Amino acid sequence: MIKNYLKIAWRNLIKNKVFTTANIVGLTLAFTVAILLAMNALFELSYDQFHKNKDSIYQVYASAQTPKGSEIALSKSVPFAPALKEEVPGIKNIARALSTNVLVIYKDKELNLDAEYLDVDYFSIFSFPVVFGNTSKPLQDRNSIAITEKASNKLFGTKDGIGKTVRLKIGKEEKPFSVSAILKDIPNNSSANFDIAIPFENHREYDENKDDWDSRNHSVFLQLEQGVSVEQFEESTVEFSKLHFREEIESRERDGALPDVNGRYVQLSLLSSSDRRFASFATGVVRVQRIFPYMILGIAFLIIFIACANFINMNIALGEKRLKEIGMRKTLGAIKGQLFVQFWLESLLVFMLSIILGFILSNLLLEPFKTLFNSEATLANLMSPTILLGFLLGILAITFIAGGYPALLLSRLNTLNALKGKWEMGKNGLRNVLIVVQFVIAIILISGTLVFQGQIQFMRNKNLGYNKEQVVSIPLNGKKDSYRVIELLRNELQGNRDILSVSGADNNLGRGRDGSASTSVMGFDYKGRGLRTNVQTVDYDFAKTLDLQLVAGRMFSREYSADSLSMVINEAMVKEFNETENPLATRVYFNEDSVAYSVIGVIKDYNFKDVSRKIEPLTLFLDRNYDLYYAYIKVAPTNITESYEAIKRAWQTVEPNAEFIGSFLDENVDRTFRREKTMATIITSGSILGIVLSCIGLFAMSLLVVAQRTKEIGIRKVIGASVSSITLLLTKDFLKLVGVAFVVGTPIAWYALDRWLQEYAFHVPLSMWFFIGAGFLAALIALITVGTRTIKAAAANPVKSLRTE
Amino acid sequence: MLLQLKNIFKWVNSGGQRVFLLKDINLEINEGEFISVMGPSGSGKSTLLNVIGMLDTFDEGEYNFLDESVHNLKEKHRSNLYKEYIGFVFQSYHLLDDLTVQENLEMPLLYKKFKGSERKAMVADMLDRFNIVGKKDLFPSQLSGGQQQLVGVARALIANPKLILADEPTGNLNSQQSEEIMELFKKLNEEDGVTIIQVTHSEKNAAYGSRIINLLDGRKV
Ligand SMILES: Nc1ncnc2c1ncn2[C@@H]1O[C@H](COP(=O)(O)OP(=O)(O)OP(=O)(O)O)[C@@H](O)[C@H]1O
Ligand SMILES: [Mg+2]
Repeated sequence: MIKNYLKIAWRNLIKNKVFTTANIVGLTLAFTVAILLAMNALFELSYDQFHKNKDSIYQVYASAQTPKGSEIALSKSVPFAPALKEEVPGIKNIARALSTNVLVIYKDKELNLDAEYLDVDYFSIFSFPVVFGNTSKPLQDRNSIAITEKASNKLFGTKDGIGKTVRLKIGKEEKPFSVSAILKDIPNNSSANFDIAIPFENHREYDENKDDWDSRNHSVFLQLEQGVSVEQFEESTVEFSKLHFREEIESRERDGALPDVNGRYVQLSLLSSSDRRFASFATGVVRVQRIFPYMILGIAFLIIFIACANFINMNIALGEKRLKEIGMRKTLGAIKGQLFVQFWLESLLVFMLSIILGFILSNLLLEPFKTLFNSEATLANLMSPTILLGFLLGILAITFIAGGYPALLLSRLNTLNALKGKWEMGKNGLRNVLIVVQFVIAIILISGTLVFQGQIQFMRNKNLGYNKEQVVSIPLNGKKDSYRVIELLRNELQGNRDILSVSGADNNLGRGRDGSASTSVMGFDYKGRGLRTNVQTVDYDFAKTLDLQLVAGRMFSREYSADSLSMVINEAMVKEFNETENPLATRVYFNEDSVAYSVIGVIKDYNFKDVSRKIEPLTLFLDRNYDLYYAYIKVAPTNITESYEAIKRAWQTVEPNAEFIGSFLDENVDRTFRREKTMATIITSGSILGIVLSCIGLFAMSLLVVAQRTKEIGIRKVIGASVSSITLLLTKDFLKLVGVAFVVGTPIAWYALDRWLQEYAFHVPLSMWFFIGAGFLAALIALITVGTRTIKAAAANPVKSLRTE
Repeated sequence: MLLQLKNIFKWVNSGGQRVFLLKDINLEINEGEFISVMGPSGSGKSTLLNVIGMLDTFDEGEYNFLDESVHNLKEKHRSNLYKEYIGFVFQSYHLLDDLTVQENLEMPLLYKKFKGSERKAMVADMLDRFNIVGKKDLFPSQLSGGQQQLVGVARALIANPKLILADEPTGNLNSQQSEEIMELFKKLNEEDGVTIIQVTHSEKNAAYGSRIINLLDGRKV
C-alpha cells in the first residue's frame, strides 16, 4: 500500500514540476538559512554553559546609590576577595581575575599574549581542564604559570611545554616564570579567554594595593556552597559591606544619594556566570538580555514560516485541480484516512528532500557564513542531544502542519461537490491571511534593514569631535618605555612632510586591532560634593594631533614646567564642576593632604567612548608616572597610504620585535559597532531571503490564479476588456494584500525599531520614510512578480482560453 | 458592404505537413444580412467565425471590415474594432459566474467607458426588452440554459453592435428555447437592422437566415 502511495505521490510531484521545484527551492533555501542562523544563535546561547559548576558560579558586583540613581561596579579591590571568604559564610571557592595583555619572552621570541592574573581556586570554580602537568593545582607557586596548548605551540613549538622557563614583562621589569601546567585551549564559547594564566600576586599593582580597599581593578568570581541561595548570600554580606565600605557609604549619604528599597547605599550582589555574556550595566541596574540571539532565532523561524506558507498555499490551490480525482477516488471507495495519508506522503517527500538539501547546503556555506556574520559557531555546537531532539521535533511538527493541513482539507471534501469541481471552504481566506502575514514579515524585515543600515551610516558619518580620517593610532605593545617610544617615533618621522603631529594617551579611540577597551573613572570631593570623571593620561600635542577644539585656556605645553599638576577638561566636566562662569579658576585637591590641581583648558565635547554612549565628563592629565598605551599620529590628507607605510617602517626601527598593529581611527570607530553591523547583515540577508521566498510564493499563486481564471479572462477580452484592465484586475487583489500587510506591519516595526534605537544616545530620527520605503519596495516587488505572469495571460488570445471549455 | 473576405487561408503545421483549417474562402457580407453557416462537425465553422470576429488570425488572404484592412491592422486596433462593432454569442453562454445578470450586462459598457447613468439606462432597457427584469439580481448558475443564453444575447447586443456572431447559440437548448432565440434574432435583424452570422447544425434554424454558407473541410461549397 505504502509503495503504491509513494508511486502516486512521486508521479504527482513530477506532474506539477513547476510547483514542486518552486517548493523544493524555497524550502531548501529556508532550511539552509534557518540552520545557519539557528546555529549562530544557539552558539551565542551556549556561552559559558560548559562549566560543570555553572549553576553555582557567580561574579560579585556592587550596586551603589548616587544622587543620580544607582550604578554598578564590577571591579573589586585586592583585599576584598580574601576578606569576603573569611567573613561571609557560604563560599566554597573564590578567585580574583584580571585580564590584560602580557609580553612573553622566550629565547629570541617575543609574543604579546592574552593573560589572566588569577587566584589558583579559579581552576576549581571553572572548568578549564589541564592536559599536562599539575592537574589539581595548575599554578603551583608564585613563580609558575599555566598556558594553553595553543600558546605552548606558539612559544615552544610543542604542545607539552611543561617545565620551560619564560620571561614576562610586568610593569617595567622582566621576571622569569616556569610553566607548571598546560591547559586545554579555551573553547570559543567562553567569556573568559586567555592564553596564559599568571598567579594574581604577580600583578604590578598588587603590592602597592594589598591593603587598599579603594583601588579596584579586577573581577571576583565565587562558587557558593551547596544549598546556599543567592538571596541568602546577598543578605549575609550586609554586615560585611557596613564594615568595609563605611567611608564610602557615609560620603554617598552626605552627597544626597537615596538609599535602595532595603535602605542600603552599597549592596553586594551576585551575577550568575551563565548570564555574564548577556548582562549590561549601562542603566545602573544589571539587565540580562538575550535579545540578539532570540531575534536571530526569530528571523530563522519567520523564514521557515514564509516558505511553509508558500507550501500550504500552493498545495491548496493545486488541490483544486485534483477535485475530480478526489471525487473519483471517493466513489471508488477510498476513505478519508487513506486520502489523507496519500496527500501527506507527497508533502513529506518534498520536506524530507528539502531538509536534506538544506543540511548539505548549510554545511557548504558554513565558512562564508562565519566570515559574513562574524561568528565562531560550528555545527559541533549543535550536536548536543537536547538540541538535536528539539530540532527533529520542530521539523516533524512543521512537516505535519504544513503538509498535513492541505491534505486534511482535501481529504474531507464532500464526494458530490468534488466531482462537480465545487470547493467551498473559504480557501482564499486562508490564502490571503498567509500572504498578508508573509508581507508583514517582509515589511518588518525591510524596514529593519533600512533602519539598521541608516543607524550604521549615521554612526559612521557622525561628527565625533575629532579627526578620525587622518589619525593613525598604534597600540604600544613593545618592550620599551612608552614615552621613549613616542619620542623615538617623533624623531624618526620628523623629516616627513606628510606627518603632521605625534602624540599619545593611555586609552584608544574606537576599538583598535588589539581589541581592548578600558575605562578609568575617578571620584573625588569638590566643594562638598562628590564628583566623578573619566580620566586619561595624555602626551603633549594631544589636541593638535586629534584636531580637538579648545574652548578656553590652553593645552599642555612643554613651555610650562608645572603642567603635571594641570588638568584639561571637557565641557561635560565643566557642568559637573558647576563652574560655567569661569572654569579656568577651578582648583581641586584629590586627596585631603595633597597639592592642588588646576584647570588650564577646556575642550569641546568629543566622543571619547563608543558612539552609542552619551559624552561623559572627562579630565586629561599630563603625568609621566603613568604609562601611555597608544600613540596617535596625524598625517596629511594627501599620500595617506605612503604615510601609513612610513609610520609602519618607523615603528619597525623603534620596536623591531613588536608587531605593528596601527590603524586609522575611522576603522577603529567602525569596529565599535561590529555587533550592529553583524546584526544588520543578518537582518538584511534575512529580509532578502524573505522577499525572494515571498516572491516565489506570489509567483506560484499568480500562476494558479491565472489558471483558475483563464475562462473569465477570455470572456472579458471578448466583450472588450483591454490588456491593461485585465492585468490590473488580476494584480489588484495581490496589491490589496500588500496594502493590508503595510497597515499591520508598520506599527509593529515602528514599535520594535523605536525601542531598539532608544539604546543609542545618538541615533537617526525614526522617520516615516523608512516604513513608506519598505512598503513601497514590497509593493513594487509584488507588482513585478505578479505582473509578469498576468500581463502574459491578459495578452493571450482569448479563443484559446475559451476553447478549454 | 459590411465585410469582405478574399482568398483566406488558415493552416496549422502538424507532423511537417500543412493541415488547412480554412481554404480559399471568399465571402462578402452586406449590412442587414442574416447568414447561417452550416457543415459537418470539424469542417471549420467555428474557425471561420473566429476569423470574422477577429479573435483568431489567418495566414493568407485579405479581410476588409468597413473600409479597414483587418489583415494590416495591429492587434490593438483590431480589438478596438471588434469591441466597437461586434457582439459575440456562444454555445456555452460564457457568462461570468461571480456576477449577477445585471452586472454581466453592464460589463461591456464598463470596458467601453460609458458613464454610470448611461450604463444604468442601457442595462435597464435591455432587461426590459428581453423580459428578464425579474432575474436581474440572480447569478448565472440560478438560471436555466435558455435564460442564460438570453442574457448572453442581451450582453452581445447591449453596446449596439453592427454585427452579431453566434456560434451554435442554441446548441445546449431544447427546441422551444431555441425557437425563442431564433425569433429574437429574426426580430433584431428585421427591426433593428443588425447583421447576424450564426453557425448551426439545424436546417430549421438555418431557415431563419437569408443566406446559407456551406463548409466542407475548410472550403466553401
Ligand atoms: N489550433 C488548432 N490546431 C489544429 N487543429 C485545429 C485547431 N483549431 C481547429 N482545428 C481543427 O480544425 C478543424 C475545424 O475546427 P472547427 O472548430 O472550426 O470545427 P467546427 O466546424 O466548428 O465543428 P463543430 O461543428 O464540431 O463545432 C477541426 O478538424 C479541428 O480539429
Ligand atoms: Mg464549432
